[in-house]
Amino acid sequence: MPREIALADALVPSILLVYLGCLLVLWVVDTIVGRYGLYRYVWHPSLFRVALFFCLFGAAGLLLYP
Amino acid sequence: MAAVPQDLRTQRAWPWLAEFLTGERLAWVFVFKCMLAFYITAWLAMVFQLEQPATAMITVSIVMHPHSGMVLAKSFYRAIGTVAGSLCGLLLMAAFPQQRELFLLSLSLWVGLCAGGAVLYRNFMSYGFVLAGYTAAIVALPAINNPNAVFNSAVTRVSEVMLGIIIAGLVSDIVLPERLREVLRRSSREHFGHFIEFARGSLGGHIPRSEMEQAHLRVVRAAVQLEDLRSTVIFEDPEARARSSRLQLLNLRYMAAATSFQSLHHLINRLQRNHHPRTAGALIKLYAPVGEALSPEPGESAMPRMLATRLEASEAKLPALAAKLRDELRQDPELLLEFDSGTTLLRRFVNELRDFTALEATLRETQGRLQGTVERVDFKRANDYATPLIAVVRTFLTMLTLSVFWLATAWPFGPGALILATVFSGLLATSPTPLAATANTWVGYALGMAAAYIVTFWLLPGSDGFTMLILATTPLLLIGPYLTTRNATLPGVGAGYTLGFVYIFALKNPMEYNPERFINDGIASLFGLMMSGVAFMVIPTLIGTRWLRRRQLQQLRRQVTLAATGPMEGLLYRFESANRDLFQQIVSFTQPKSDESKELLAWALAVHDCGRAVIELRQDMLHADLPPPLLEIMQQAVLALAQLYDEPDAARWQQADRAVDHAITLTTQTLPQARASCQPALAHLLQLRTALRDDESALAPYIVKSPEPSHAP
Repeated sequence: MPREIALADALVPSILLVYLGCLLVLWVVDTIVGRYGLYRYVWHPSLFRVALFFCLFGAAGLLLYP
Repeated sequence: MAAVPQDLRTQRAWPWLAEFLTGERLAWVFVFKCMLAFYITAWLAMVFQLEQPATAMITVSIVMHPHSGMVLAKSFYRAIGTVAGSLCGLLLMAAFPQQRELFLLSLSLWVGLCAGGAVLYRNFMSYGFVLAGYTAAIVALPAINNPNAVFNSAVTRVSEVMLGIIIAGLVSDIVLPERLREVLRRSSREHFGHFIEFARGSLGGHIPRSEMEQAHLRVVRAAVQLEDLRSTVIFEDPEARARSSRLQLLNLRYMAAATSFQSLHHLINRLQRNHHPRTAGALIKLYAPVGEALSPEPGESAMPRMLATRLEASEAKLPALAAKLRDELRQDPELLLEFDSGTTLLRRFVNELRDFTALEATLRETQGRLQGTVERVDFKRANDYATPLIAVVRTFLTMLTLSVFWLATAWPFGPGALILATVFSGLLATSPTPLAATANTWVGYALGMAAAYIVTFWLLPGSDGFTMLILATTPLLLIGPYLTTRNATLPGVGAGYTLGFVYIFALKNPMEYNPERFINDGIASLFGLMMSGVAFMVIPTLIGTRWLRRRQLQQLRRQVTLAATGPMEGLLYRFESANRDLFQQIVSFTQPKSDESKELLAWALAVHDCGRAVIELRQDMLHADLPPPLLEIMQQAVLALAQLYDEPDAARWQQADRAVDHAITLTTQTLPQARASCQPALAHLLQLRTALRDDESALAPYIVKSPEPSHAP
């Protein structure tokens, strides 16, 4: 994947798109987990969510910048 | 060791001290979170080498709020607003690169429209609109002399604003979060308890009108507050999001049950006044099993699940009891009719109350996912377009005046004044007392700038590094967030202080020490703030004025027209929610217990009672198998009622009364042939007639007393 993508002739860092994609994934995971009430098993749900996001984003970012 | 008993003794001796300390603790947690957010933002902005870390810090100062759900909700809309605003700024710049007059004209129009949107959507969505206007201004205005740079300027501004939003959201979500979900749960249970208590307490039957009015006020507040909380909490908590549609349904059932309950008691009160105490007594007897179901044995606690099963059991007893009571009234056919109407109403109420408690029980017992799907219902807001329109015109004129002044004088600090006017005319437009709010904010702003002056020119020059920056700015900066927590006594001062400090401090890397710019910029922003205050003097706000209240009352009465003519799909919820939203808006600006508020309450109760009965009647007309001529007569009665509420006068009252009476006569004649289909419709018609002839309701001045009250046989 290139490090910069031209969106309507403006160069955008692809990591921004990865970020938005990860937000989307987090939202989906969040909805599923919230639906089944699994956050009750976690001590600090919002910290857990942020950590999960960092894992996702970090993993996806490493694909881009190996 | 000694600290604990001493602490306890202090608590016992001075209860206010414990209260004070709890309040202080919350305030200082908030201050700590604010400072943390400020410094993380500033540090990251400098690490990322953004042009103006100050913009990110200003964002933090606007977004931070003591409850975390509010921050996330605001951030969400703020992000959307920011993107929309920067796109608009770019478009305007691309469209008029050489035409400063046209450019400023269209920018003023955009900002005005955004201020109107901020007024129209009264909850935190209004922030999105404020920021759409403000981002357009901060993207386009600094680049006005160099249009080629506007794209880069837009990209950096958006990055800075987004950074501020993200950090503020993260900090308030993770560090010592203050959850709105708890508030929602607590207040939802409280309202449930109150309502059950009220329904149980009315076992004796007669409730004085003033108490009914108070109860109505409470129910209205509760419904609107629950909806506000729900729409915020879904941003904070994925679990709440999964249950959101059920919470909405719960609110609907709550409102429906409350309305039926009120109608029932109005009916009993009217019967008692109109010399039908026997019918009223029979209805009260019929109500007894319900009251018993709601009062569990002393040992047991009133859990909703148990209440629901008890209600179901009592519901089964009702038909037999009704038949027995009906037998006692058999001699007088007219009393019988009234009694039947009351029975229908009572059964509707019990049915709704059971649904309500059952849903509440399900929500309390299960965590997380709930089985099955539910009907989707939306809380409808009642909006009036006059206030937003005034806000649009006012902001547009403010911006235009400032632009003309800027162009005419070639004032180098014009953009600063323009930006500040943009922010505050949007933020303050929703306030009921914008002049006082502007004055407070102005004072806070000036104080904040004075503090920033001390920090910038006396403390900072001798310091070096980020730690020293924190040490030098913290003592004076933390006054701002602290004052924000004192919003009840000093509204607006805290926000003004923080914004003034951060704006004029204009943190940069490397820092610029320029007293000339500092003072000029300070004067410009105070001038801009003052201009938005002047605009409120020239075009005063409509919120809270008598004229707007009259208008909203008219709108409230038109709800009956909605009930009479609107499409049936989802009509009940639309009617119930819009009614309450509207009434909440009207009532929040009247003095409690004043004549005006009494009149408003009377109207609200009348509209509620009549509108609901009209909707039920229309449902009967739709589903029951009624003969066509009867349908036509009923339709006429419904329309006559709508006309009466649209513009009440004596002639229309007579017309409506005649139409309803006629419908009752005809329905009674058809009753023997088609009992099953006519009975409920007849009950609702009777309810409408008693509501119409109630001489204590808001319609009383229009009632024409016929010499011989003609009752249907």
